[in-house]
Amino acid sequence: MAMDLTVNGVRHSVDVAPETPLLWVIRDQLRLTGTKFTCGIAQCGACTLHIDDRPVRSCSVPVSAAVGKAVTTIEGLSPDGTHPVQLAWMELDVPQCGYCQSGMIMSVVGLLKRRPNPTDAEIDAEITNACRCSTYHRIRKAIRVAAASISARGGAL
Amino acid sequence: MTITDNFSRRGLLATAAAVTGALVIGFWLPRRTEAQSFNPEGAAWSNETGDDEVNAWVVVAPDDTVTVRIAQTELGQGVWTSNAMMVAEELQCDWSKVRPQYASANRDAKEMAPAWTLNVMGNGATDPNGGGEPQFGTRDRTGLAGIPDSLYRRMRTNAAASVKDGRYYLQLAGAEARDRLLLAAAKLWAVPVEEVSSVNSVITHRGSGRTTTYGKVASLAAETPHPNPQRIRIKPPSEWTLMGTEQKNLDVPSKVTGTAVYGIDVHLPGMKWAAVKSCPVYGGKVKSYDFERIRNEPGVISAIQFPIPDPVLIRGRIFGGGVAVIADSWYQAKTAIDKMPIEWDVPAANATRNTANIRAALIASLDEPGTVRVNVGDCDSVFRSAARIVEATYSVPYLPRARMEPGNATVLVADNRVDIWIGDQSPQETRRSAAQITGIPEENVYLHMCHLGGGYGRNGNGPQAEQAIYVANQNRGTPIHLLWTREEDFINTTFRSIGVAKLRAALDKDGWPIAMDVRTATDAEAPGATAGFDIAARYFAPNYRFSTHSGRFHIPVGTRRGVGAPAQHFYRESFMDELARAAGKDPYLYRRELIARTNLPYRADMIKALDIAAEMSGWGTKLPEGTARAIALEERGAEAGGHATISAQVHTVSISRDGKVRLERVDVAHDEGFGLVNPLSVRKQIEGQVTWFYNDAMYQECNVTEGRIAENNFDTFLLSRINEDPPQINVTFFKTGHWLDGMGHDRGLSIQSNIADAIFQITGKRYRDLPFRNHDLTWT
Ligand code: FES
Ligand code: FES
Repeated sequence: MAMDLTVNGVRHSVDVAPETPLLWVIRDQLRLTGTKFTCGIAQCGACTLHIDDRPVRSCSVPVSAAVGKAVTTIEGLSPDGTHPVQLAWMELDVPQCGYCQSGMIMSVVGLLKRRPNPTDAEIDAEITNACRCSTYHRIRKAIRVAAASISARGGAL
Repeated sequence: MTITDNFSRRGLLATAAAVTGALVIGFWLPRRTEAQSFNPEGAAWSNETGDDEVNAWVVVAPDDTVTVRIAQTELGQGVWTSNAMMVAEELQCDWSKVRPQYASANRDAKEMAPAWTLNVMGNGATDPNGGGEPQFGTRDRTGLAGIPDSLYRRMRTNAAASVKDGRYYLQLAGAEARDRLLLAAAKLWAVPVEEVSSVNSVITHRGSGRTTTYGKVASLAAETPHPNPQRIRIKPPSEWTLMGTEQKNLDVPSKVTGTAVYGIDVHLPGMKWAAVKSCPVYGGKVKSYDFERIRNEPGVISAIQFPIPDPVLIRGRIFGGGVAVIADSWYQAKTAIDKMPIEWDVPAANATRNTANIRAALIASLDEPGTVRVNVGDCDSVFRSAARIVEATYSVPYLPRARMEPGNATVLVADNRVDIWIGDQSPQETRRSAAQITGIPEENVYLHMCHLGGGYGRNGNGPQAEQAIYVANQNRGTPIHLLWTREEDFINTTFRSIGVAKLRAALDKDGWPIAMDVRTATDAEAPGATAGFDIAARYFAPNYRFSTHSGRFHIPVGTRRGVGAPAQHFYRESFMDELARAAGKDPYLYRRELIARTNLPYRADMIKALDIAAEMSGWGTKLPEGTARAIALEERGAEAGGHATISAQVHTVSISRDGKVRLERVDVAHDEGFGLVNPLSVRKQIEGQVTWFYNDAMYQECNVTEGRIAENNFDTFLLSRINEDPPQINVTFFKTGHWLDGMGHDRGLSIQSNIADAIFQITGKRYRDLPFRNHDLTWT
């Protein structure tokens, strides 16, 4: 079935079964491979991207649910890797294997859009992505750095 | 399935023109942007030597960009950066212009290592305590045993050994290239080489002040042989300027933009996807499958049965045979295979195995003679007459590594050439597998290495390559990307063996051990069975016996992070806490005294580690109710007097009355030997291992039910999240007089025994079976 998708501001027409998970359309059809597959059952968050600014686990969202909405993936976060969260991630040298980090960054951006200066409790409640390398310690510090730079820029993402 | 707009085909990088016979493969780089700027069109990896290659590790471009070839795989441990640092330290090049690139496993099949890498003793980097002897194994052409003498020597990524084993020849590689660049400049200026020197890629002639750059003399250097390679001198730690400094990891920028290429991201023209199902009971195979039922599912092309991967190719492990469904997209292949009826042919004995009968068999084995590894003094008679005996039995479960990237490989088999795109921890072994399965010689096997989404003890070598090679060999001319589901990843992996141990000690009237009997049991094939107990004792007991016991089970066991150490460390350090408590002594001071009584070569360092960690943690100061501290010693190589890594950790743990565990802080005293290569990576590894082993202690287990592994995704195999990361991880490095024995895999083990002891202090209950979530942790 042909469907129109808007991903990172670009319209695509894809012809897939409507129940196909958004993740696989993004990765295999649109070849945006920054968004990762790990568990396939909405447990880990490696596949996190945004639909209309809300982080979702794209392995468990049918592509049909994204029709008519704005999808943003890690590739669309900034043209050159200079989103405040990406800069903070580089400053703290967060990634180890890096496999979870696209999803992690998208979750954090989603949180900071709603709460530009989140408390530890909010971070704990909202950032439920898994990182098998356990980079959590630097992630929390990097969220602080990103929040500070967002507030220096005027407070909103 | 079509795409009607003209999105850019970002995944398309390698120029694999799948024309049978005439195959052109672009060399594969981990970043698309870099690869595009390298314009790899038609450049074969094996021909990429180029005019400007100074040696097999170092390529200098006219603009002074230095490409450093990396023979290990980046899986989060920082090797992409630390290996480059070891080369760049000697090369004295501009670090900001260093670009790592994977070394060619194909060239490694064709070329021998330069003679100067074979003679890898200290060459100036001597260790006053004798720790500078590299611990190389025998030279084996295959790389299966020891370190081969093929071009890149050791291409394996394992045993936390990338620095330990690679340092000598990587420093030599940088020094050899530097010497030749200086020689080239001297030749150009017709001056003695002694009068030229270099800093940051700039070469200066002392007398005249003339300067040039590496990039300008690189092609001349490429033609200038080293006059005396056996005399190449590498810098001792006192002369390091780059090594030992905190350097951000060079792969990180690509990992925050989603551009880093993992095996799973590989797309080739004409590529088809394969989803597989392997027999969930190891040793089983396909009896029948009904492809007709799915033949008309969207995108489906074919199905192929594959045999149990040849154990000879995968270090003896027996997985299951299975079936692959090939389709246009992976999701189509996966959807179809889920609908395809498959009947398995399962060895009856394997299907009767479950966790309980495996554990019971191991516990029974403890009373059999076993293999006596150490026997000092006369344990039996001391036990017979001892006034006081402490005894405890511990157990740990099977554990997989469960990296985030599910196993996958892309393979294209042509008439006389195999190309493999993969994140792999043993490319030399995979090259051999490809040759064995296809009959195409290793010299014609090309591995295009990708970053790996986690390794943790060689997850990069399940049988994903062997399965993919098998399937692609049946589909010659078509690139096949085989990808496991998470559930398949759990099936096609090796496990840290289930284990049990019985420890007994006889105490004297002051509570010090006068005899100790240690019996451990694992699967007979489990590596590392003697870890931590293999010398007279880490902690002094004048009479000491250690025996290993085993059973044979069908679950494939392997080298998960830390290998044998995590389980044995849990037993040993838990028991030390139990002895200290039986003696009514402080567990820190009890350990300290027992180490002081040994004649271990590094006992002073061990004591120092304990002292620093205790002091950092505020050991002995009052804590709120429901909070406790515990301490443990971590060491690797403590017995030998050579390479070693020593640390101690104190964990401060709180437990709520309803049994919720919270890791409040971790204080780590860590040995830096003569010097760490990249202290930033070491910090990151320590931070990661704290939570890795927290997961082991608290949550993780794989149980066996009717011969199969029960937990197979992250809904049942639990991972902690950021909310459980401790608010504080404090690390203090201290200098010692030996080379480090790696630190990527056993630097957080203490948390297991430390949580056990904290639970005991807070709740009064002593638990000896991991994970703790199976126990009642409530208290009043
Ligand atoms: S892959 Fe979607 S949550 Fe794990
Ligand atoms: S960085 Fe490896 S899983 Fe998160």
